[in-house]
Amino acid sequence: MGVLLGLEGEATDAEVVRAVLAGDVERYAVLVRRYRDRYARYASRMLGSRDVAEDAVQDALVRAFDRLADCREPDKFAGWLFLILRNRCFAERRRRQRLERPLDSTDEMFAAPDRPDGAYEQVERAHALERALQHLTPEQREVFVLKHMEGLAYEEIAGVTGATVASLKMRMHRAYDRLRELMKEHL
Amino acid sequence: MRTIGLAATLLLGATLAGELAAQQPRLDRRVSPEVQRAVQVIAADAAARGLPVDPLVQKAIEGAAKGVPNDRVIAAVRALAGRLGESMAAVREAGVAAPGGDVVEGGADALNAGFSGRQVSDLVRVSRPPHDAALTLRVAATLAALGVPTKQALQLVQGTIGSDRSASDLLGLPGQVQAGVARGATPAQAAAGLARAAGGTPPGRLPDWVPPGQQKPKNPHKP
Amino acid sequence: MTTGYHPLVKRLLDGELSLAELPPELRAEGEEALRLVGAADRAPVALSPALEERVMATVRGHAASLGHAASPGHRAWRWLNTPRDVELRLRVRPWTVWAGALAAAAALALLLGRPAPEPVPGAQARGGTRDSVLVRFVLYAPGAHRVAVAGTFNQWDRAAAPLVPAGTSGVWTTTLALPVGQHQYAFVVDGARWVADPGAPAVNDGFGRRNSIVAVTAPGAHL
Repeated sequence: MGVLLGLEGEATDAEVVRAVLAGDVERYAVLVRRYRDRYARYASRMLGSRDVAEDAVQDALVRAFDRLADCREPDKFAGWLFLILRNRCFAERRRRQRLERPLDSTDEMFAAPDRPDGAYEQVERAHALERALQHLTPEQREVFVLKHMEGLAYEEIAGVTGATVASLKMRMHRAYDRLRELMKEHL
Repeated sequence: MRTIGLAATLLLGATLAGELAAQQPRLDRRVSPEVQRAVQVIAADAAARGLPVDPLVQKAIEGAAKGVPNDRVIAAVRALAGRLGESMAAVREAGVAAPGGDVVEGGADALNAGFSGRQVSDLVRVSRPPHDAALTLRVAATLAALGVPTKQALQLVQGTIGSDRSASDLLGLPGQVQAGVARGATPAQAAAGLARAAGGTPPGRLPDWVPPGQQKPKNPHKP
Repeated sequence: MTTGYHPLVKRLLDGELSLAELPPELRAEGEEALRLVGAADRAPVALSPALEERVMATVRGHAASLGHAASPGHRAWRWLNTPRDVELRLRVRPWTVWAGALAAAAALALLLGRPAPEPVPGAQARGGTRDSVLVRFVLYAPGAHRVAVAGTFNQWDRAAAPLVPAGTSGVWTTTLALPVGQHQYAFVVDGARWVADPGAPAVNDGFGRRNSIVAVTAPGAHL
């Protein structure tokens, strides 16, 4: 199976990475299109705002370009990009901490029309969970987002974050308790 | 979204065979065959665990150049490999999935200088742009090498990062401690003075974001 | 004050148990917990369509600033990026150091027994950082007949970098071009006695002696 020239949807990540490294800067757009929305949900939940998430994803994509020569395994570009984004999200949290600038309201991020039965309590509860997530520590929020929104198993989360499964479960269980407390009126 | 299998493989750096092959000619000329054989085994194991191999080879060459008996050279290389492994674990515990060789080496230097694995993790956690984790670890290790007690070195580094100093401010800390010592202070006193000036946070307490109007969470430094 | 969830309920949330497997008295709590977790909004988030163009515009700018449309390149953003190939450390690149140092660099090259390097235009312009910095080593050793400095930057070769007496005061000195990064070293007096630099931070070398540390950053050296 060869590369179908001109049909960029067919090229693998590795092929595009190599092309960009060889000088074809414009091909990078293929990767940008492929991944711009893929981690948007993770970034939005981690940062509590779609606008801030968009900045983070944009920065991560630019940084991935700048450091493309460091991507040791071009066919693992997706995972490598995710790590760059993850670091960026954590950095953004710390930056906001320092500036004491609270995160934007999560209202604009919530997609109400998706709720098929439109039950008011459900909508409110989802809203409350979004807000409550922002009051967790970044590590707690991440394990919750990765497990319950991105659907990863603990072993997979361990692979990304470098934490042990045991410590991830401990974090998660504390998060469950904290969320219960924060959301008690909505449950 | 299934990225994790991909990300996990990033933990391995350059290919195993490539790294080891590159070391061969450097060792040939400089160390005895016995040391060379032992180092190759230790290095192969280290590389398989994703640890940097370069410092191990360097240490063997150093031992040979210093005329150290073979068994002591091998022991030192083995000990260094152990520290690199411990450092890797500490850096991963701090949330870095795929640390670069320089971060792992920096952690090993810090361990050699007397920091605990936990303190290495703390140093990695507080590192944030523009402060590379490798740089933070190296500065901390250098402070300890100047005689600053590890707890204070940690405090000083955290305080400097926490108050938003530049990377060159962090790098300049050892020089400032030396200047303090030249004026007659002990390393500990010099470091304490700098920490006060930097507005240091107590060791072990990492900054945690408290939302406005909320109480502090019960366990501020728990994952 | 809300109590936490029962451990079995937490395992339910983790997906290790089903609701039916919970004891009856915990069912209600389990259902409540599932409502909590079920509230997570898994809807995909779409970012603005303009993001792609913003990224590409930035990226084109970065490629252009490197002077040509070729690879994204190795913008040196890491302070302590030590070269993996140790042989590189011996290669002096005078065109990245200020003009006055050219003579010293040539002298060093002679000492090392290599021809003085020719400046290569273009290749080093990429990245734009200084690869090496001149560092002066000084040791007060009256009564010594030979003094050299050996370290990670020259493979611990005690013949590679001799010091010369500065007058008759007993002070020995030399200046080396060292690459950016952290280096360990020690002085060798009369070919056999390894002495750490009294003015520098010291670490255990693993052989019962101490090595000194010098951290080289652009533009100056730090101890």
